[in-house]
Amino acid sequence: MSKEEENRIIVDNVYKTFNVYMDKANSLKEKMLFWNRNRKEKREVLKNINLTIKNGEAVGLIGVNGSGKSTLLKLMTKIIYPNSGKIITNGKLTSLLELGAGFHPDFSGRENIYFNASIFGLTKKQIDERIDNIIEFSELGSYIDNPVRTYSSGMYMRLAFAVAINVDADILLVDEVLAVGDQHFQEKCIAKMKELKEQGKTMVFVTHSLGTVKDFCNRAIWLNQGVVKMDGEPDEVIEAYLKETT
Amino acid sequence: MNIAKDLYNYRELLKTNIKKDVGGKYKNSVLGVLWSFINPLLQIAVYALVFQVILKSNIENYTVYLCCGLIPWQYFSSIVLRGAAVIVDNANIIKKVYFPREILPISIVTSEGVNFLISTIIILGFVIFGGIGLSWNILWYFLIVAIQFIVSIGVALIVSSLTVYFRDLLHLLGIVIQLLFYATPIVYAINSVPANLQWIVKINPMSYLIEAYRSIFYNQTIPNFQGLLIALGMGIALCVVGYFIFNKLEKRFAEEL
Repeated sequence: MSKEEENRIIVDNVYKTFNVYMDKANSLKEKMLFWNRNRKEKREVLKNINLTIKNGEAVGLIGVNGSGKSTLLKLMTKIIYPNSGKIITNGKLTSLLELGAGFHPDFSGRENIYFNASIFGLTKKQIDERIDNIIEFSELGSYIDNPVRTYSSGMYMRLAFAVAINVDADILLVDEVLAVGDQHFQEKCIAKMKELKEQGKTMVFVTHSLGTVKDFCNRAIWLNQGVVKMDGEPDEVIEAYLKETT
Repeated sequence: MNIAKDLYNYRELLKTNIKKDVGGKYKNSVLGVLWSFINPLLQIAVYALVFQVILKSNIENYTVYLCCGLIPWQYFSSIVLRGAAVIVDNANIIKKVYFPREILPISIVTSEGVNFLISTIIILGFVIFGGIGLSWNILWYFLIVAIQFIVSIGVALIVSSLTVYFRDLLHLLGIVIQLLFYATPIVYAINSVPANLQWIVKINPMSYLIEAYRSIFYNQTIPNFQGLLIALGMGIALCVVGYFIFNKLEKRFAEEL
């Protein structure tokens, strides 16, 4: 393994603000007519975060709502960009952010597998090889040929998860999605993620389920109001976190 | 170049996107592929009626003349209008996953390009049955299409990224396209434009392209290469400007949508 692959994700002094508009001028007309209307507030979401995530680590991001966990995850996937600082990722990355994962509602589950997996950079041949595994894992059976808009949120999530773990990524980013599935599927996902962990994949996930972090992660990071409050062994971090929040 | 590598890595996505777009258009309609013929034919009928029958244009074989300009123009106008909406329409995907955002405008330009290739059958039909016939010069068609493709990519990159920040651009562009239609020699001949207004036609890359299509189909001559070179230059300039604008603006797409 080369030197740079040891560090899968490097978060270097990342600072991120969101503009919160009181009354947003969204069109050219409004921007010209009401140029003073654009009152906005800057909200600091992440304040100079530094992190290095090594190959093979399973990291749990914890923290109360609004602490910047999901924003950090979105920055890692390159959906949004930091105001200053930079994020470097080495290796192929897949992400599972909230529900949906970019499905096309009118397409069937099967067509969406092709669409979604190609978003993650797979070629048709590679998808052909994996499609049976994906369908089997999703447990969608004959529903796989129905349009995705007819799916329940659990089915949606199962399909999204099945694609994300079957694209052979080096890094898997997961944002609180397991909560939707039933007990059986959750256990299956955790088992699969453990398997990936043993294969040496790197994982970061945002969750409120502290039990999962304890059980699964070998590192926990506690974010509080945009700064890393604590970073280390899951047991210790969770203990400190619980002490402060309850 | 980073973008070339990105596009290569995500070629499958580009392919699915284009297929989805070309196939999806005809998938659930009774008349299917006929739709891409009916619309231009109706437009040709209307303009022919207005300019030939009512306004008595003195251009020979006016319907054929019109058709050589109108079909390529429709390609261009659909690039502007559909291109402007493409990022906004795909908001749900952009907010969820990373992929090179350029794929979206590029696949619109390509799939509309496929439609244009199909619609070219109309031009061929008109020149063959309109009493003009074919010459070997129509082989230049592929060169002209290639240049129009480059111009279209540039335009699509610019309009698609700007619309995210200025949503009413979509309506504004509808009007701009109508004005541009009359600023391009489609329904009239370029030499009937007064000298002091010629510059309007000259700054528009579509004028050179439409003149070139007309040369090879209607006049059966070689195209004006100097004009094509100017159009190519403008196309490259649009691509460079478009690339920088898109690159700058794409960073905040997910937040603005």
